[in-house]
Amino acid sequence: MSAATGALLASVHLRGPHVDFAGLSPLIALLGGATLVLLAGLVRSRALRAHGTPMLALISLGAAAGLTIWQWGASKSIVSGALRIDALSLVLNLVLVAAGAGTVLLAWRSAGAREATGELYALLLTSLGGMSLLVAAQNTVALFVGLELLSIPLYVLCATDRSSVRHRREHSIESGLKYLIIGAVGSATLLYGIAMIYGATGATDFSAIAAALSSGSLASDPLTLTGIALCAAGLAFKASVAPFHQWTPDVYEGAPTPVTAFMAVATKVAALGVLLRFFDVALIEAQPSWGPALAALATITIVVGNVGALGQSSMKRMLAYSSVAQAGYMLAGVVVASQLGARATVFYLAAYMFMNMAAFAVVLVRERESDLGDSLQALAGLGRQRPLLAGSMTVSMLALAGIPATVGFAGKFYLIDAAVSGGYTWLGVVIVVGSMISLGYYLPVVAQMWMRAPAAAAARTEGLPALAGGSSELADAGPPAQGAEGPPTPEVALVALLAAAGAVFFGVIPQPLFDLVHGVGGALGGLF
Amino acid sequence: MATTTWGWLVLAFPLLGTLSVAAGYRRLPGRSAGWIGTASVLLAFIASIGALLSLQGHVPAHRELVSSLWNYASTVGIDAQMSILVDPLSVFMILVVSGVSTLIHLYSISYLQDDRGYARFFSYLNFFVFAMLLLVLAGNFLVLIIGWAFVGAASYLLISFWYRRTTATRAGLKAFVINVVGDVGLVLGTYFIFKHTGTLDLLRTFHSAGAPVAFGAHHNHGDLVAGCVLLLVGAFAKSAQIPLHAWLPDAMEGPTPVSALIHAATMVTAGVYLIARMHVLFELAPAAQDVGAVVGAATLLIAGTIGLAQTDVKRIIAYSTMSQIGYMIMGVSVGAYAAGLFHLMTHAFFKALLFMAAGSLIAAMAGEQSLDRMGGFRRALPFTYGSFLIGGLALSGIPPFSGFFSKDEILLVTGERGGWHWALYVIGYMGAALTAIYTFRLIFRAFHGEPVPAARELEAGTPHHGAPSNPMTGEPEDTDVGFPGPTHTIAERALTMRVAMGALSVGAIGAGLIQIPKVDFLVTDFLRPSFADTSLYEPHTRNGLLVLGLVLGAALGLAGIALAYRLWVVRPGSAAAIGARLRPLWDLFVHKWYFDELTDALIVKPALRAGSFAQSTFERLFVDETLIGGTTALVRAGSAAVRAAQTGFVRYYAALLLVGVSGVGLYFLLQS
Repeated sequence: MSAATGALLASVHLRGPHVDFAGLSPLIALLGGATLVLLAGLVRSRALRAHGTPMLALISLGAAAGLTIWQWGASKSIVSGALRIDALSLVLNLVLVAAGAGTVLLAWRSAGAREATGELYALLLTSLGGMSLLVAAQNTVALFVGLELLSIPLYVLCATDRSSVRHRREHSIESGLKYLIIGAVGSATLLYGIAMIYGATGATDFSAIAAALSSGSLASDPLTLTGIALCAAGLAFKASVAPFHQWTPDVYEGAPTPVTAFMAVATKVAALGVLLRFFDVALIEAQPSWGPALAALATITIVVGNVGALGQSSMKRMLAYSSVAQAGYMLAGVVVASQLGARATVFYLAAYMFMNMAAFAVVLVRERESDLGDSLQALAGLGRQRPLLAGSMTVSMLALAGIPATVGFAGKFYLIDAAVSGGYTWLGVVIVVGSMISLGYYLPVVAQMWMRAPAAAAARTEGLPALAGGSSELADAGPPAQGAEGPPTPEVALVALLAAAGAVFFGVIPQPLFDLVHGVGGALGGLF
Repeated sequence: MATTTWGWLVLAFPLLGTLSVAAGYRRLPGRSAGWIGTASVLLAFIASIGALLSLQGHVPAHRELVSSLWNYASTVGIDAQMSILVDPLSVFMILVVSGVSTLIHLYSISYLQDDRGYARFFSYLNFFVFAMLLLVLAGNFLVLIIGWAFVGAASYLLISFWYRRTTATRAGLKAFVINVVGDVGLVLGTYFIFKHTGTLDLLRTFHSAGAPVAFGAHHNHGDLVAGCVLLLVGAFAKSAQIPLHAWLPDAMEGPTPVSALIHAATMVTAGVYLIARMHVLFELAPAAQDVGAVVGAATLLIAGTIGLAQTDVKRIIAYSTMSQIGYMIMGVSVGAYAAGLFHLMTHAFFKALLFMAAGSLIAAMAGEQSLDRMGGFRRALPFTYGSFLIGGLALSGIPPFSGFFSKDEILLVTGERGGWHWALYVIGYMGAALTAIYTFRLIFRAFHGEPVPAARELEAGTPHHGAPSNPMTGEPEDTDVGFPGPTHTIAERALTMRVAMGALSVGAIGAGLIQIPKVDFLVTDFLRPSFADTSLYEPHTRNGLLVLGLVLGAALGLAGIALAYRLWVVRPGSAAAIGARLRPLWDLFVHKWYFDELTDALIVKPALRAGSFAQSTFERLFVDETLIGGTTALVRAGSAAVRAAQTGFVRYYAALLLVGVSGVGLYFLLQS
């Protein structure tokens, strides 16, 4: 009797799987935030919706950041080994959350958000959740789920431009559709690759795959190698690595600028994060096979990105090609499969966040203020009208080109160092050559802002010319700054200033960033 | 307060000064920019005294204090820190730099009044002081290089301060180009030293330099010799030593206070400081030491002879500066560290004084600088004359003025080294005689003899003012921004100038007394902890040589003055007669030993000729058409190809995607 009761009690006592909620908490904050934002979209008051939803989004991002920091120093596998909470995923989480917060601020007054139903922020948070999942994924199923969770909201986001200008609306929808179709091809390729690797090794877990590859001749098995090839292509697509980059300029140009900023920064962080973990943990044994292939892809990417960016008149297209080139630089850190390489890549990702956020924020301001949209001409004379904004853009361009005393220099230095000590000196040379070409499109932006005047130049006070540059005393006589047209956008300017300040600060004092990424190398177990 | 905190304060004040003057230039009324600039440097001087007192509170063995503000990068084997090193040597330097700078700022308050670039001038000047203090306080090669480059930039800005003057902008460019040659030397030298020691921290470099790190016990120090010779290139460029000296005379195009501060008292002594700071490395690389000593001796003699024949007041003093720095470079290169630095200090006093007096003289001539048009200013400018006389006596090494003790000490140590150093000893005393001659030639010609019209007008109370023009070329000018202002201020009519010159006069007369052979060794004792690791430091004087040197120095100085008096006062015109009789030699001096022509013939002309040849053949055909044309065409074609592929049609994208996937897949299959 008592035994029967005991058995009954035992069967009633629900035994769920053990869930490490602490490890999952940043993800929960993001996805929970998405749900809350959607619900808040039902509030009747329009003003409350317009400002409440982004506030909620920011709060959930803040919570995610706080929880990430709470987890700092953790090194554990959760959800039956599907996810890994370690230095790599935590650092990248922080970068992602920062990029997300920047995007929310950029989108606050955008045309898409004017509908004020909050979908934009909900989609953004969902996509961030997918990214957070992706950088922590350590089995191929979680990887794929993360990738899709990242991508599907993005397809929609690209098509959310509700601008009153018809061709912009159409562009936006076109870009969303393009992204969807090409994205589907990319996802399919990746899935094939995953399936083949599973077929060859019988494992989905990264460590199990690594173990399978280390035994016997599996690392040179055609099935495995085809799988790796397809995975590389699929992930390269997300990171916009050439020749899988072609969607990038079109989608970046067509999507609403805040979304473009988000794609440029956050998607790249997630894609390179997963590339690092997948290739440096699961496929580390096959590095002799994929190293040269990825190095070749990196070279093609650097060349195509830099060459393609030359002569673009649309800032967003130019930045799209520039992001292709930057992906090529960062791929160098993956190629070498060393702790140094992993650290350099993550360092560059953080740097990249600052540099690109500043650039896109300034583009957005000009887009709202002038009729010229995101064209290069819209920036003409910005130096005189809005010196702080022009300064932010200048810092961003110089940092992207890798000029010393900006974070871009430290990042490139780190990557080149990693490439050289990993035995890929020629790849370091390619990075330098690419940076040289890149000046050809970054510097015209700076020149446009400071050297082209929208109004006539200040009249000289006397006849004899200045011989060694101008002087501030003469500039006194110049016209006062022209008042900016369009709605005031203090929060966008704030993003630009903060990001530029970060790019300079970490360029002069890079040590905190070095310290931040220090643990990343050790997190990927098998690296030397 | 910690000693290093004082060091940081020394840096903070001028930086704040330059930023506040630069940011508020529109709102600063009247001369307030000048007073802010002066006050910030004065605060730096007070903080330097604080550092001195605090440093003396430590036991001698612990007087090398490092403080790091932050790590620039301590990763991948590099330890680049924003650190300062406060030790007796750097404290000595910051005292001299901030002290003299304060007085020169004070002088400038009146001297540059009514110049349209008044606030700009003081923000540049404060920036220079910050850069110079950063250079001497650097505790890490990285900071040293930053300070070194900042100083060069500040010098460029100040030489070209009157930026609408053709000659000034050209001089600024020349100075900048030659200084960059030096910067490259410094950076490459740092690279070699880093290669040898594996650290960028100065103290750690010195400690590990002696211990071979890479090749076992029998290391030949090849890296160190290369590194030190390259450091010397940097030192020569900054300190205007032959053959990198050509910029200094031209740098006199800057306002006179700039000449006093940068091109006499502080920046040009950076090379001396560098060698003294790196003495541990130089002693491990004797070849580099010898190069330094020989170049210093050559410079001191050659510059002295050129000074004899020039007619531009400021250029004469500039050549004298080159010559005196030659003494210092020679001194620190033969191990006379304390003597070299002692001379650096006394020279800063009397040379700044001479420049200030020259500035007053030039103001009296309304900008005219040629000695040929001056004369008889003794009664018109009594204060200026007195200052000039004190500076000249100190420069000529007449006892008991300060230059007497410091110069003789360098030569004494040089003589004690023996061997071929005796040649340097003799050259040094020849230079001493020359110094007295050219200095008093300047004084006698400008202040004695018949008063020129400008002097008469000044005596009568109405200063001479013509239409503004470039003193070098006679081009017409105006007095707006980019040219000198309308007012020319002489010391007799400006209190701040008199105060500054008076203070420096005290230094020029009395500074020698702090280090008299056999009596007191203040400088030597103070600097000892910085030179604890060298055997050359302690004076072990041979009495006979000491007495001989002192007597010789005084006698040669007095003889030089007597000769100058005879040539230019008793029998004016006899100098020209001698010049005519020794025509080739005189021409050599007038044309500055043809160094400009030599550079022109050896470097500029061949480069131009090779350039034009290459331009017409190699450049146009190969580079332009093939390389540049090819590369741009390639990049353009690439750009076009990328854009052509970017059709906007998804089907093409999908096709390329498939091609890409197939390509990657094929590669991997070939691997198997």
